[in-house]
Amino acid sequence: MGNRRAGSCFPYNKVMTSFPTRRNTVVLTAVVFLLAVFAWAGWANWEYRRQAAERAAAANQQGMLVPATDGGIPIYNSPLQGRPAPAFTLDNLSGQKVSLENYRGKAVLVNFWATWCGPCIIETPWLVELRNKYAAQGFEILGIDTEGDDAQPSDKAAWAKDQAAAAKVVTQMKMPYPVLLGGDSLSQRYGGLDDLPASFFVDRKGTVIAASVGLTSESDIEGNIRKALGD
Amino acid sequence: MARMKTPMKAVAIAFVAWVAFVAFAAHAQVLKSAAEDRVLATTDEVKYMYPAQASVAAGKPTAIALHFLIRQGLHINSHTPSEEELIPTTLSFPDGSGVRLDAATYPPGVTYTLPADPSLKLSVYTGELIIQARVVATAGSHAVKATLHFQACDNRVCLPPKSIDVPINVIGK
Repeated sequence: MGNRRAGSCFPYNKVMTSFPTRRNTVVLTAVVFLLAVFAWAGWANWEYRRQAAERAAAANQQGMLVPATDGGIPIYNSPLQGRPAPAFTLDNLSGQKVSLENYRGKAVLVNFWATWCGPCIIETPWLVELRNKYAAQGFEILGIDTEGDDAQPSDKAAWAKDQAAAAKVVTQMKMPYPVLLGGDSLSQRYGGLDDLPASFFVDRKGTVIAASVGLTSESDIEGNIRKALGD
Repeated sequence: MARMKTPMKAVAIAFVAWVAFVAFAAHAQVLKSAAEDRVLATTDEVKYMYPAQASVAAGKPTAIALHFLIRQGLHINSHTPSEEELIPTTLSFPDGSGVRLDAATYPPGVTYTLPADPSLKLSVYTGELIIQARVVATAGSHAVKATLHFQACDNRVCLPPKSIDVPINVIGK
Protein backbone atom coordinates (compact mmCIF):
# COMPACT_ATOMS: atom_id res chain seq x y z
CA MET A 1 0.00 0.00 0.00
CA GLY A 2 2.77 2.43 0.82
CA ASN A 3 2.69 5.73 2.65
CA ARG A 4 -0.03 8.26 2.27
CA ARG A 5 -0.33 11.97 3.06
CA ALA A 6 3.10 12.45 4.50
CA GLY A 7 2.99 15.24 7.01
CA SER A 8 -0.60 14.73 8.22
CA CYS A 9 -1.41 14.50 11.96
CA PHE A 10 -2.51 10.87 11.82
CA PRO A 11 0.47 8.47 12.14
CA TYR A 12 -0.09 6.75 8.80
CA ASN A 13 3.53 5.67 8.67
CA LYS A 14 3.13 3.77 11.89
CA VAL A 15 -0.20 2.36 10.73
CA MET A 16 1.08 1.23 7.38
CA THR A 17 4.13 -0.51 8.80
CA SER A 18 1.86 -2.41 11.12
CA PHE A 19 -0.80 -2.91 8.43
CA PRO A 20 -1.37 -6.66 8.89
CA THR A 21 -2.12 -6.06 12.62
CA ARG A 22 -4.46 -3.20 11.65
CA ARG A 23 -6.33 -5.48 9.22
CA ASN A 24 -6.67 -8.21 11.83
CA THR A 25 -8.02 -5.70 14.32
CA VAL A 26 -10.63 -4.60 11.81
CA VAL A 27 -11.63 -8.21 11.15
CA LEU A 28 -11.79 -9.05 14.82
CA THR A 29 -13.84 -5.94 15.53
CA ALA A 30 -16.24 -6.95 12.80
CA VAL A 31 -16.54 -10.45 14.25
CA VAL A 32 -17.15 -9.13 17.76
CA PHE A 33 -19.78 -6.79 16.35
CA LEU A 34 -21.48 -9.67 14.54
CA LEU A 35 -21.41 -11.76 17.71
CA ALA A 36 -23.02 -8.91 19.58
CA VAL A 37 -25.72 -8.66 16.92
CA PHE A 38 -26.38 -12.41 17.14
CA ALA A 39 -26.51 -12.28 20.92
CA TRP A 40 -28.92 -9.37 20.84
CA ALA A 41 -31.10 -11.10 18.22
CA GLY A 42 -31.19 -14.26 20.31
CA TRP A 43 -32.11 -12.37 23.45
CA ALA A 44 -34.73 -10.29 21.63
CA ASN A 45 -36.29 -13.45 20.16
CA TRP A 46 -36.45 -15.10 23.59
CA GLU A 47 -37.85 -12.02 25.24
CA TYR A 48 -40.50 -11.61 22.53
CA ARG A 49 -41.60 -15.23 22.90
CA ARG A 50 -41.69 -14.97 26.68
CA GLN A 51 -43.90 -11.90 26.55
CA ALA A 52 -46.14 -13.45 23.91
CA ALA A 53 -46.57 -16.53 26.09
CA GLU A 54 -47.43 -14.37 29.09
CA ARG A 55 -50.01 -12.45 27.10
CA ALA A 56 -51.50 -15.66 25.79
CA ALA A 57 -51.76 -17.25 29.20
CA ALA A 58 -53.10 -14.02 30.77
CA ALA A 59 -53.35 -16.07 33.93
CA ASN A 60 -56.04 -13.96 35.52
CA GLN A 61 -58.28 -13.87 32.46
CA GLN A 62 -58.26 -17.04 30.38
CA GLY A 63 -59.33 -20.56 31.14
CA MET A 64 -57.21 -23.31 29.61
CA LEU A 65 -58.15 -26.79 28.48
CA VAL A 66 -55.30 -29.18 29.24
CA PRO A 67 -55.22 -32.72 27.85
CA ALA A 68 -55.63 -35.27 30.66
CA THR A 69 -52.60 -37.48 31.32
CA ASP A 70 -54.71 -40.64 31.14
CA GLY A 71 -56.15 -39.65 27.75
CA GLY A 72 -59.58 -38.99 29.27
CA ILE A 73 -61.64 -35.84 29.44
CA PRO A 74 -59.41 -32.74 29.24
CA ILE A 75 -59.08 -30.88 32.51
CA TYR A 76 -60.39 -27.34 32.53
CA ASN A 77 -58.28 -24.91 34.55
CA SER A 78 -60.64 -22.05 35.24
CA PRO A 79 -59.23 -18.73 36.41
CA LEU A 80 -62.39 -18.43 38.53
CA GLN A 81 -61.74 -21.53 40.64
CA GLY A 82 -62.09 -20.56 44.30
CA ARG A 83 -63.04 -16.98 43.44
CA PRO A 84 -66.36 -15.10 43.56
CA ALA A 85 -68.57 -15.83 40.57
CA PRO A 86 -68.77 -12.67 38.41
CA ALA A 87 -72.08 -10.91 38.97
CA PHE A 88 -74.48 -10.47 36.06
CA THR A 89 -78.02 -9.43 35.16
CA LEU A 90 -79.59 -10.87 32.01
CA ASP A 91 -83.07 -11.08 30.50
CA ASN A 92 -85.05 -14.29 30.80
CA LEU A 93 -87.30 -15.50 27.96
CA SER A 94 -90.14 -13.29 29.20
CA GLY A 95 -87.94 -10.21 29.12
CA GLN A 96 -87.57 -9.97 32.92
CA LYS A 97 -84.21 -9.13 34.48
CA VAL A 98 -82.59 -11.97 36.44
CA SER A 99 -79.42 -11.51 38.53
CA LEU A 100 -77.03 -14.09 39.97
CA GLU A 101 -77.28 -12.08 43.20
CA ASN A 102 -80.94 -13.13 43.50
CA TYR A 103 -79.69 -16.67 44.24
CA ARG A 104 -77.26 -15.90 47.06
CA GLY A 105 -77.80 -18.58 49.69
CA LYS A 106 -78.50 -21.23 47.05
CA ALA A 107 -76.06 -23.44 45.17
CA VAL A 108 -76.16 -22.43 41.51
CA LEU A 109 -74.97 -24.04 38.31
CA VAL A 110 -74.24 -21.31 35.77
CA ASN A 111 -74.49 -23.31 32.53
CA PHE A 112 -73.47 -21.77 29.18
CA TRP A 113 -75.19 -23.54 26.27
CA ALA A 114 -76.61 -22.90 22.79
CA THR A 115 -79.50 -24.25 20.73
CA TRP A 116 -77.11 -25.43 18.00
CA CYS A 117 -74.78 -27.27 20.41
CA GLY A 118 -75.21 -31.05 20.22
CA PRO A 119 -73.31 -31.89 23.44
CA CYS A 120 -75.39 -29.21 25.24
CA ILE A 121 -78.61 -30.90 24.09
CA ILE A 122 -77.24 -34.26 25.26
CA GLU A 123 -76.49 -33.03 28.80
CA THR A 124 -79.79 -31.11 29.19
CA PRO A 125 -81.88 -34.12 30.34
CA TRP A 126 -79.23 -34.77 33.00
CA LEU A 127 -79.44 -31.13 34.15
CA VAL A 128 -83.24 -31.31 34.25
CA GLU A 129 -83.14 -34.49 36.34
CA LEU A 130 -80.51 -33.17 38.76
CA ARG A 131 -82.20 -29.83 39.16
CA ASN A 132 -85.46 -31.53 40.07
CA LYS A 133 -83.63 -33.87 42.47
CA TYR A 134 -81.74 -31.18 44.39
CA ALA A 135 -84.07 -28.15 44.13
CA ALA A 136 -85.54 -28.79 47.58
CA GLN A 137 -82.03 -28.59 49.09
CA GLY A 138 -81.56 -25.11 47.62
CA PHE A 139 -80.10 -25.79 44.17
CA GLU A 140 -80.90 -23.90 40.97
CA ILE A 141 -79.55 -23.86 37.42
CA LEU A 142 -79.26 -20.71 35.31
CA GLY A 143 -79.12 -21.67 31.63
CA ILE A 144 -77.17 -18.96 29.84
CA ASP A 145 -78.03 -19.08 26.13
CA THR A 146 -74.84 -18.22 24.22
CA GLU A 147 -75.76 -18.26 20.54
CA GLY A 148 -72.49 -16.73 19.31
CA ASP A 149 -74.27 -14.11 17.21
CA ASP A 150 -73.59 -11.20 19.62
CA ALA A 151 -77.28 -10.29 19.44
CA GLN A 152 -78.20 -7.29 21.59
CA PRO A 153 -81.62 -6.49 23.07
CA SER A 154 -81.58 -3.33 20.94
CA ASP A 155 -81.50 -5.50 17.80
CA LYS A 156 -85.11 -6.59 18.12
CA ALA A 157 -85.14 -8.99 15.16
CA ALA A 158 -82.02 -10.91 16.20
CA TRP A 159 -83.06 -10.94 19.85
CA ALA A 160 -86.54 -12.23 18.99
CA LYS A 161 -85.01 -14.96 16.82
CA ASP A 162 -82.74 -16.12 19.65
CA GLN A 163 -85.60 -15.95 22.11
CA ALA A 164 -87.85 -18.07 19.88
CA ALA A 165 -85.11 -20.66 19.30
CA ALA A 166 -84.39 -20.94 23.03
CA ALA A 167 -88.08 -21.10 23.96
CA LYS A 168 -88.58 -23.99 21.54
CA VAL A 169 -85.78 -26.01 23.14
CA VAL A 170 -87.00 -25.16 26.66
CA THR A 171 -90.45 -26.52 25.77
CA GLN A 172 -89.13 -29.61 23.98
CA MET A 173 -86.73 -30.56 26.79
CA LYS A 174 -89.04 -29.47 29.63
CA MET A 175 -86.35 -27.28 31.21
CA PRO A 176 -87.70 -26.22 34.62
CA TYR A 177 -85.00 -23.63 35.38
CA PRO A 178 -84.51 -20.03 34.23
CA VAL A 179 -82.99 -19.63 30.77
CA LEU A 180 -81.33 -16.27 30.19
CA LEU A 181 -80.41 -14.64 26.87
CA GLY A 182 -77.27 -12.75 25.92
CA GLY A 183 -74.57 -15.18 27.05
CA ASP A 184 -72.13 -13.81 24.45
CA SER A 185 -71.64 -10.70 26.59
CA LEU A 186 -70.91 -12.76 29.71
CA SER A 187 -68.60 -15.54 28.51
CA GLN A 188 -65.48 -13.34 28.49
CA ARG A 189 -65.88 -12.58 32.19
CA TYR A 190 -66.31 -16.27 32.92
CA GLY A 191 -62.92 -17.26 31.51
CA GLY A 192 -63.15 -16.39 27.83
CA LEU A 193 -63.24 -19.91 26.47
CA ASP A 194 -65.66 -20.12 23.54
CA ASP A 195 -66.30 -23.84 23.91
CA LEU A 196 -69.77 -25.02 24.88
CA PRO A 197 -71.16 -26.37 27.12
CA ALA A 198 -69.36 -24.64 29.99
CA SER A 199 -70.50 -25.08 33.59
CA PHE A 200 -69.60 -23.11 36.70
CA PHE A 201 -70.71 -24.52 40.06
CA VAL A 202 -71.27 -21.74 42.61
CA ASP A 203 -71.72 -22.40 46.32
CA ARG A 204 -74.16 -20.66 48.67
CA LYS A 205 -71.66 -17.89 49.37
CA GLY A 206 -71.18 -17.10 45.68
CA THR A 207 -67.78 -18.80 45.23
CA VAL A 208 -66.98 -20.88 42.15
CA ILE A 209 -66.07 -24.30 43.58
CA ALA A 210 -65.79 -26.18 40.27
CA ALA A 211 -65.84 -25.54 36.54
CA SER A 212 -65.99 -27.78 33.50
CA VAL A 213 -66.01 -27.35 29.76
CA GLY A 214 -67.47 -29.86 27.34
CA LEU A 215 -69.65 -32.90 27.79
CA THR A 216 -68.71 -34.82 30.93
CA SER A 217 -71.16 -37.23 32.63
CA GLU A 218 -74.25 -37.03 34.80
CA SER A 219 -72.32 -38.37 37.78
CA ASP A 220 -69.57 -35.75 37.32
CA ILE A 221 -72.20 -33.01 37.30
CA GLU A 222 -73.96 -34.49 40.33
CA GLY A 223 -70.67 -34.62 42.24
CA ASN A 224 -70.07 -30.93 41.62
CA ILE A 225 -73.66 -30.04 42.59
CA ARG A 226 -73.24 -31.82 45.92
CA LYS A 227 -69.95 -29.97 46.49
CA ALA A 228 -71.69 -26.66 45.78
CA LEU A 229 -74.48 -27.57 48.21
CA GLY A 230 -71.82 -28.18 50.83
CA ASP A 231 -72.35 -31.94 51.10
CA MET B 1 2.47 -17.30 9.65
CA ALA B 2 0.54 -16.17 12.79
CA ARG B 3 -0.83 -13.21 10.83
CA MET B 4 -2.11 -15.51 8.07
CA LYS B 5 -4.02 -17.72 10.55
CA THR B 6 -5.90 -14.92 12.37
CA PRO B 7 -8.47 -14.25 9.63
CA MET B 8 -9.24 -18.00 9.53
CA LYS B 9 -9.71 -17.92 13.29
CA ALA B 10 -12.11 -15.01 12.89
CA VAL B 11 -14.11 -16.94 10.32
CA ALA B 12 -14.21 -19.94 12.66
CA ILE B 13 -15.44 -17.80 15.55
CA ALA B 14 -18.12 -16.24 13.36
CA PHE B 15 -19.26 -19.68 12.19
CA VAL B 16 -19.52 -21.00 15.77
CA ALA B 17 -21.46 -17.89 16.79
CA TRP B 18 -23.89 -18.41 13.90
CA VAL B 19 -24.45 -22.06 14.85
CA ALA B 20 -25.04 -21.06 18.47
CA PHE B 21 -27.61 -18.45 17.43
CA VAL B 22 -29.48 -20.90 15.21
CA ALA B 23 -29.50 -23.50 18.00
CA PHE B 24 -30.86 -20.93 20.46
CA ALA B 25 -33.60 -19.83 18.08
CA ALA B 26 -34.56 -23.43 17.35
CA HIS B 27 -34.72 -24.21 21.06
CA ALA B 28 -37.03 -21.26 21.67
CA GLN B 29 -39.23 -22.47 18.80
CA VAL B 30 -39.43 -25.97 20.32
CA LEU B 31 -40.44 -24.56 23.70
CA LYS B 32 -43.16 -22.48 22.09
CA SER B 33 -44.55 -25.48 20.15
CA ALA B 34 -44.65 -27.58 23.30
CA ALA B 35 -46.64 -24.88 25.07
CA GLU B 36 -49.11 -24.66 22.20
CA ASP B 37 -49.75 -28.43 22.29
CA ARG B 38 -51.15 -28.12 25.78
CA VAL B 39 -54.15 -25.98 24.75
CA LEU B 40 -56.93 -27.15 22.45
CA ALA B 41 -56.64 -24.61 19.66
CA THR B 42 -59.73 -22.74 18.51
CA THR B 43 -58.18 -21.37 15.33
CA ASP B 44 -57.96 -23.01 11.92
CA GLU B 45 -60.98 -25.23 12.44
CA VAL B 46 -61.50 -25.02 8.68
CA LYS B 47 -58.88 -23.84 6.21
CA TYR B 48 -59.29 -22.85 2.60
CA MET B 49 -56.67 -24.78 0.65
CA TYR B 50 -56.97 -24.02 -3.11
CA PRO B 51 -57.28 -22.81 -5.86
CA ALA B 52 -55.85 -19.35 -5.43
CA GLN B 53 -56.79 -18.47 -8.97
CA ALA B 54 -59.30 -19.61 -11.61
CA SER B 55 -59.88 -18.61 -15.23
CA VAL B 56 -63.43 -18.63 -16.56
CA ALA B 57 -65.18 -17.50 -19.74
CA ALA B 58 -66.54 -14.01 -19.03
CA GLY B 59 -70.31 -13.91 -18.66
CA LYS B 60 -70.70 -17.69 -18.76
CA PRO B 61 -71.58 -19.77 -15.65
CA THR B 62 -68.52 -21.89 -14.84
CA ALA B 63 -67.95 -24.26 -11.91
CA ILE B 64 -64.88 -23.86 -9.74
CA ALA B 65 -64.07 -26.60 -7.22
CA LEU B 66 -63.14 -24.97 -3.90
CA HIS B 67 -61.11 -27.20 -1.57
CA PHE B 68 -61.27 -26.87 2.21
CA LEU B 69 -59.70 -28.87 5.03
CA ILE B 70 -61.53 -29.46 8.31
CA ARG B 71 -59.18 -30.00 11.23
CA GLN B 72 -58.79 -33.60 12.33
CA GLY B 73 -61.11 -34.49 15.19
CA LEU B 74 -63.66 -31.81 14.27
CA HIS B 75 -66.84 -31.99 12.23
CA ILE B 76 -68.98 -29.19 10.81
CA ASN B 77 -72.67 -29.46 9.98
CA SER B 78 -73.39 -30.14 6.34
CA HIS B 79 -75.32 -27.69 4.18
CA THR B 80 -78.49 -29.57 5.19
CA PRO B 81 -78.14 -30.43 8.90
CA SER B 82 -80.41 -32.94 10.57
CA GLU B 83 -82.06 -30.46 12.95
CA GLU B 84 -83.48 -27.00 12.32
CA GLU B 85 -81.47 -25.43 15.13
CA LEU B 86 -78.14 -26.64 13.78
CA ILE B 87 -76.09 -24.16 11.79
CA PRO B 88 -75.50 -25.17 8.15
CA THR B 89 -72.29 -24.70 6.17
CA THR B 90 -72.84 -22.06 3.51
CA LEU B 91 -70.69 -20.39 0.86
CA SER B 92 -71.31 -16.82 -0.29
CA PHE B 93 -69.70 -14.31 -2.64
CA PRO B 94 -69.77 -10.57 -1.91
CA ASP B 95 -71.84 -8.19 -4.02
CA GLY B 96 -70.05 -5.87 -6.39
CA SER B 97 -66.92 -8.00 -6.75
CA GLY B 98 -67.45 -8.64 -10.45
CA VAL B 99 -68.05 -12.32 -9.68
CA ARG B 100 -71.54 -13.58 -8.92
CA LEU B 101 -72.23 -16.94 -7.32
CA ASP B 102 -74.81 -18.51 -9.59
CA ALA B 103 -75.17 -21.68 -7.49
CA ALA B 104 -73.12 -23.66 -4.99
CA THR B 105 -73.23 -27.46 -4.95
CA TYR B 106 -72.41 -28.97 -1.60
CA PRO B 107 -71.52 -32.62 -1.03
CA PRO B 108 -74.00 -34.75 0.92
CA GLY B 109 -73.25 -34.94 4.63
CA VAL B 110 -72.06 -38.05 6.40
CA THR B 111 -74.30 -39.39 9.18
CA TYR B 112 -72.51 -38.99 12.48
CA THR B 113 -73.49 -39.74 16.06
CA LEU B 114 -71.83 -38.60 19.26
CA PRO B 115 -70.65 -41.46 21.49
CA ALA B 116 -72.68 -40.01 24.39
CA ASP B 117 -76.01 -40.20 22.52
CA PRO B 118 -76.27 -42.48 19.48
CA SER B 119 -79.90 -41.45 18.97
CA LEU B 120 -78.87 -37.90 17.93
CA LYS B 121 -77.97 -38.31 14.24
CA LEU B 122 -76.03 -35.47 12.69
CA SER B 123 -75.28 -34.72 9.02
CA VAL B 124 -71.69 -33.49 8.92
CA TYR B 125 -68.54 -32.91 6.91
CA THR B 126 -65.12 -34.03 8.08
CA GLY B 127 -61.66 -33.96 6.56
CA GLU B 128 -61.54 -32.63 3.02
CA LEU B 129 -64.54 -30.63 1.79
CA ILE B 130 -65.04 -29.70 -1.86
CA ILE B 131 -67.74 -27.20 -2.80
CA GLN B 132 -68.54 -26.63 -6.49
CA ALA B 133 -69.09 -22.90 -6.92
CA ARG B 134 -70.76 -22.06 -10.23
CA VAL B 135 -69.83 -18.42 -10.85
CA VAL B 136 -70.43 -15.79 -13.50
CA ALA B 137 -67.59 -13.29 -13.87
CA THR B 138 -67.30 -10.12 -15.91
CA ALA B 139 -64.21 -9.67 -18.07
CA GLY B 140 -61.01 -8.87 -16.22
CA SER B 141 -59.18 -9.97 -13.11
CA HIS B 142 -61.18 -9.98 -9.88
CA ALA B 143 -59.57 -10.53 -6.48
CA VAL B 144 -62.55 -11.90 -4.58
CA LYS B 145 -62.95 -12.75 -0.88
CA ALA B 146 -65.77 -15.23 -0.73
CA THR B 147 -66.98 -16.42 2.69
CA LEU B 148 -67.55 -19.86 4.18
CA HIS B 149 -69.83 -19.86 7.24
CA PHE B 150 -69.83 -22.95 9.45
CA GLN B 151 -70.05 -24.26 13.00
CA ALA B 152 -67.61 -26.90 14.30
CA CYS B 153 -67.70 -29.41 17.16
CA ASP B 154 -65.73 -32.40 18.31
CA ASN B 155 -67.21 -35.26 20.37
CA ARG B 156 -67.43 -33.17 23.54
CA VAL B 157 -67.43 -29.45 22.81
CA CYS B 158 -68.86 -27.10 20.22
CA LEU B 159 -67.15 -23.93 19.01
CA PRO B 160 -69.15 -20.83 18.05
CA PRO B 161 -70.34 -20.32 14.46
CA LYS B 162 -67.60 -18.75 12.39
CA SER B 163 -66.84 -17.36 8.94
CA ILE B 164 -63.55 -17.66 7.09
CA ASP B 165 -62.35 -15.78 4.01
CA VAL B 166 -62.03 -17.70 0.76
CA PRO B 167 -59.58 -15.58 -1.26
CA ILE B 168 -59.59 -16.40 -4.97
CA ASN B 169 -58.50 -14.48 -8.02
CA VAL B 170 -61.11 -15.04 -10.75
CA ILE B 171 -60.08 -14.06 -14.26
CA GLY B 172 -62.86 -13.53 -16.77
CA LYS B 173 -61.55 -14.03 -20.32
